[in-house]
This record gives sequence, structure tokens and C-alpha cells, in this order.
Amino acid sequence: MRRRLFGVLACVMALSLVGACAKSGGTGTTPPTTATTGPTTATTSGTSGTSGTSGTSGTSGTSGTPIPKATTLQAGVLTVGSCLDYKPFEYKDSKGNLTGFDVEITEEIAKRMGLSKVNWIKANFDTIFTALATGQKFDAVAAASTITPQRSQIVDFSDPYYNARQSLTINKDKTPDIKTTDDLKSGDTVGVQKGTTGKDWATTNLEPKGIQVRTYTTITDAFTDLEAGRLTGIINDEPSSIGETEDRPSLDVVEPIDTGEHYGIAINPKNPTLKPAIDAALAALIADGTYKQLFTKYFPTLPLPPEFAPKS
Amino acid sequence: MAISATRPEEQSVGSAITGEAPPDVRGPTAPFPRAIFLLGLASLLVLAIGTVAIQIDYAVVAPPLSQECINAGIDADFTGHAGVCHIIQGLRATEMKVVFILTIVLGLAAIVLGFSTYRKMDTRRKRDNAYDGAILGIQAVLVAAFVWWFSASQQFLTFAKLDLNFAVLAGHVDDFLRGAKNTLVLAFGGEAGGIVIGLVLSLMVLSSRRVVRAPARTYINFFRGTPLIWQLSFAYFGLFLGLGWNPSPFLAAAIVLAVNTGAYSAEVFRAGIQSIERGQVEAARGLGMTYLQSMRYVVVPQAIRRVIPPLMNEFVILIKDTSLVIVLGLAASQFELYSTSQDLYSSTFSATAFVAVALGYLAVTLPLIALVNYVERRLRSGLVGAGGVH
Repeated sequence: MRRRLFGVLACVMALSLVGACAKSGGTGTTPPTTATTGPTTATTSGTSGTSGTSGTSGTSGTSGTPIPKATTLQAGVLTVGSCLDYKPFEYKDSKGNLTGFDVEITEEIAKRMGLSKVNWIKANFDTIFTALATGQKFDAVAAASTITPQRSQIVDFSDPYYNARQSLTINKDKTPDIKTTDDLKSGDTVGVQKGTTGKDWATTNLEPKGIQVRTYTTITDAFTDLEAGRLTGIINDEPSSIGETEDRPSLDVVEPIDTGEHYGIAINPKNPTLKPAIDAALAALIADGTYKQLFTKYFPTLPLPPEFAPKS
Repeated sequence: MAISATRPEEQSVGSAITGEAPPDVRGPTAPFPRAIFLLGLASLLVLAIGTVAIQIDYAVVAPPLSQECINAGIDADFTGHAGVCHIIQGLRATEMKVVFILTIVLGLAAIVLGFSTYRKMDTRRKRDNAYDGAILGIQAVLVAAFVWWFSASQQFLTFAKLDLNFAVLAGHVDDFLRGAKNTLVLAFGGEAGGIVIGLVLSLMVLSSRRVVRAPARTYINFFRGTPLIWQLSFAYFGLFLGLGWNPSPFLAAAIVLAVNTGAYSAEVFRAGIQSIERGQVEAARGLGMTYLQSMRYVVVPQAIRRVIPPLMNEFVILIKDTSLVIVLGLAASQFELYSTSQDLYSSTFSATAFVAVALGYLAVTLPLIALVNYVERRLRSGLVGAGGVH
């Protein structure tokens, strides 16, 4: 069961750059596949479904820093836009309840801000930031969206709440000495997937050192070649690589690579009270360990990045 | 009426008997059939030359971005904004409207004049001139109307932004040249291997012994019956890996292309050999040649001439099929044309990469297609004397 779940997760992560919730940095570029419906199909979900899942829900009052007051479009409600179909960040579970890492983080934030519920609005990812920038539609957007300079020009972003890291995978039977990408030498070959952050990173950082970069259409083929010794390493999304290496004992994810691809909650730029409140609430839920709990729930095999560890 | 018009000797005979000239039923001969043809041609040329001239003008003068471009997101943040906007501005300029209107007026004139007068022309050539002028007019009017309508639509902004952003190609010309080289290397490698395999297989298939035919048939049917993309993936990630052999993806691709082309070439060779009449072999055998001698001196030399055009056609198909090797995961130095465009597309999200690569393929295949047609004509005329083909 867990393996199967992970397969789904790995697929989602591997496709993350071309999926409906494409998080690539470009503005104005249309992702190859787009969400199907228009911007205003409303799906609402009360917090009741998820508030019970967090054992530490009562601790917000005990955290040291008070959370600033913020106004919202609708009093007592945080209106949040998302594409709502991007596992494991936002999706409907088998009972049809909206859930996911983004969803639970956002609802924890809303609770700490003293709001009674989150009103989720399904929106097309293409236009979600321009819709947010109008200041009329949403208070915030939580859609696994990467913080980019282009997007920051039109909307505000919270502090990062997720670090989408790349990783180096090697074949420990053939090259046990390689621990980091610095150990790769000229003449080695690394595999990447077409159109991914990993490919951009490898082309920028490894190709100049004489390391060949082979571009695969599907990342599974790259792992097959790494197992066979046709590749020295693979640069790929961390969750995807961890999923792929589970079934292949000779392969090991040896180094996470921070490419600066951080997810943030996009915030209505016309409402200056929101960002301080959301940032403070986020800091509080990291500090009290709620973040760690949710991270472990949705990414059971990933190591918790140090910046999100609870402050004791 | 046409008969009486084209048989003057009959008329003179008739008039000699009856003593009066037959009535002229042709009606007045319509004037200027040549002018109608030129009118139709002019409408197309006005459209083509006018569009190119205005586009060049806008590219050179480089006016500032228009508001409609900025509203459509073609602003300073968008890479290639100037080029895209100049295309849009050029097509929406007042001069361009003049070109469209002129084209449509000239084209309509050619249509009306051509269709209303061609029946009255007294020679075949004049009739064709008027008719062709009208057809050219239809083409010009349809193209002008479509381009006018589409370039004025809101959707055209999106289209131009996505497909006509030629600035994204800047600095990638070398990549496309390398891609063209790799495409040709793969295609020539595949064709060379394919011809050898195909020749052997075709001789096996033509054998009178079932046990010789059967394996060749199996091979041909298998490789003709499975998709090339499957053959590539399975060979590289399944078969070669299972055999413990790790060739470069490029070499593996060339081998699979050769093996695949071999199956198709075998059928071409078989058809070519079978097209030589049985009587020729019988005559050769009657002269005391062995079976192999009759093949070597009589059948194969003629068959080769007949299979050259279909083989070259196959080569054109093979050039396009090399695009499938992208599934093997190529290194940048091994990118052929299609993977070059895919790579550029995934870094720019501009479909202009695909537009460019189509031009790249056509630059390689169109001369080949022209060559096939030329060779085909030459061989056909050469074979008339040999008594084989009409």
C-alpha cells in the first residue's frame, strides 16, 4: 500500500514541471496541460474535516510571538484559490474531502490567525496570480507555487513553506565513492528529464565541467540506465528519486540539491495586513512541530529540511 | 459548335457545295485571356510581396510596442517581444489593409472575368489562361481573407506569441545544424544497414524453399508489424541491457533503424525482382546460365533501376523516423533535429522551436523528394526501350 502510494507521489513529482500546477518560473508561458475549468467554480470545505488531524492544534496560543491581526475579504474566512488537483499538495481523498499538504498547512495558518474557516476556490493555474493581483477574488493562493521574481512583481509571497529540492542519485555498486556532485568528473554522464529544474541545473552546473547530460523523456528509463551502469548519476526531484530508488537496492540518493525552488503562499498584494499575519502563523506552526507532523504525513520518506525543524 | 469551328477544311467543302458560309456560332471572341491570367497572378503576387515588404519594413523601422501587444502580455518582460509585436503590427497596419483589399479586388476581378469568358475563348490555350487566372484569383482571395480575418482576431496575439517568436531561436542555429547532421548520420547509417539486410532478406523470401522463406518472412512481418518506437525502447532498455551490452544510445538507434529499414527494403527489393518478367529468367536459364548467374546478369541489374525510386522514398521516411530516437535519452551532442526542438521548447515554452524544426526537416527532405521525382522520370523514360514499363 505504501509503495503504491509512493508510486503515485513519485509520478506526480516527476511530472511536476509539466503538470496542471506547473511551478516553473516563467510568467505568461502556458503550461502544456492546463486545468480544465474556469476560474470561479467554487468548492468549499470547512475546517472541521482536518482540524482534528493535528494533535497540536491547541498549542498556538502558547507560542511566544503573538500573531498580528489581519483583515480578509470576508470576515472570519480566509478565501484561498488553488487548482485543487495536484497530489500530494492538494487533492480530494477517497471520501471526496479536500486534503493535501498545502490544504492542511493553509488551514493551520487560518486557525492561528483566528479565522473560523478556509473557503477554497478552484481556479485555473494559468490566471491564478493575475486573479489574485486584482485583490477582489482571493486573500491568498496555495497551489504548490514556486516563489519567482516575476510572480513577486504582481503578488506578495509568504515565507517559503516547502523546499522543492533536486537530488543526486548514484549507483553504489559501481561508484560508491561519489557522495556529492563535486565528485563527478569530466567524461561522466548524468541523466535528467526533459523540461525539469534538474535538467536546467545540470546543464548550468555540470555540463561546463565536461560532464555529459543525457535528456530522457521519462525518468524511469534514466534509473534503468543508472542501474545498468550506463549513467554515473541522475539529477532529479528529490521525492521522485527516493520513490524510484525504493525498488532498486543498488541505487542511492546521496545528496539533496537546493536549487532555490521554494513554494510560498501567494498573498493579495492590496491587503498589507495579510503577509505579517500569515508569516507569523507559519513560523508558529513550524516552531511548535505541526509542520514536522504534516511533512512526515505527506512525505514519509523525505528528510525534514533543517529550516523547517521545530524550535525547541 | 466546336467541331465546325475547328475544322476549316470541312467548312470550305460545305460552303463549296451549298454556296454559303456556315453561321459563326462562337460569339464574339473574348479579349485578353492572357490579361485575366496575369490579373489572377498579380493578386497572389500583391499579397505575397506586399506582406513580405511590410514585414521587412516593420522589422527594420522597429516602431515601439503597440498598446494591444502590451495588453496581450507581449511587453518588455517577454523574451522576443519586439519581433512578435512587429509581426502583429505589420499584419494589422493600414498598408496591410490596402494590400488585402487590392488582393481581393484583383482576385475577384480575375474570378469574374475568367469564369464569365473562358467558354468563349477560341483556342485551348486561351481557355486555359482565363480559367487558370480565375483559379489563381480564388486562391489569392481565400488566403487574403483568411490572413486578414485571423491577424485581426484577438486569438492571433496568442498565436504570434507562441508560434512566431523567432527571437527564441537566436543563438541556437548551431544546435539546429548539429541536429541536422545527426539526423542525416542516423538516416544514412540506417539506410546503409537496411539495404544490406533488405537485399539478403528479399533473396531469401524469393526462394522456392519454404524453410528459407519462412525465417525471412517472420523477420519482415515482425519488424513491419511492430512500431518503431517500441523497437527502439525495447532494444535499448530491454534487449541490449538483458544481453549485457551497453552501446551509446546513438549507436543503438542506428542499429535499430537499420534492422527496421531492412524489413521494408526487403519488400521493395522483392517487388522489384518480381517485376522482371519470368520469361527473362527462363531465357537466361535456356542460355545455360545458372539461377545465380541469371539473377546476377539479367534480373538484379534491371530490378535495381526499378527499386531506386521507392528506396529513395523510404529514405525520406527514414529521415523523419529518426525523430523517434529521442526516447532513448540522448546527450546534447547526440541531439537530432527533433530532440533539438524539444530541448529548446522545454527551455523556452515557445512552439516556435517546432516551427523552426519543421523548416529544418523540409530543408533536408524537399531536395530529396525533388531528386526522387527526377530519377523516377529519368528511369521511366530509360525503361521504355527495355520494354518493361509504359
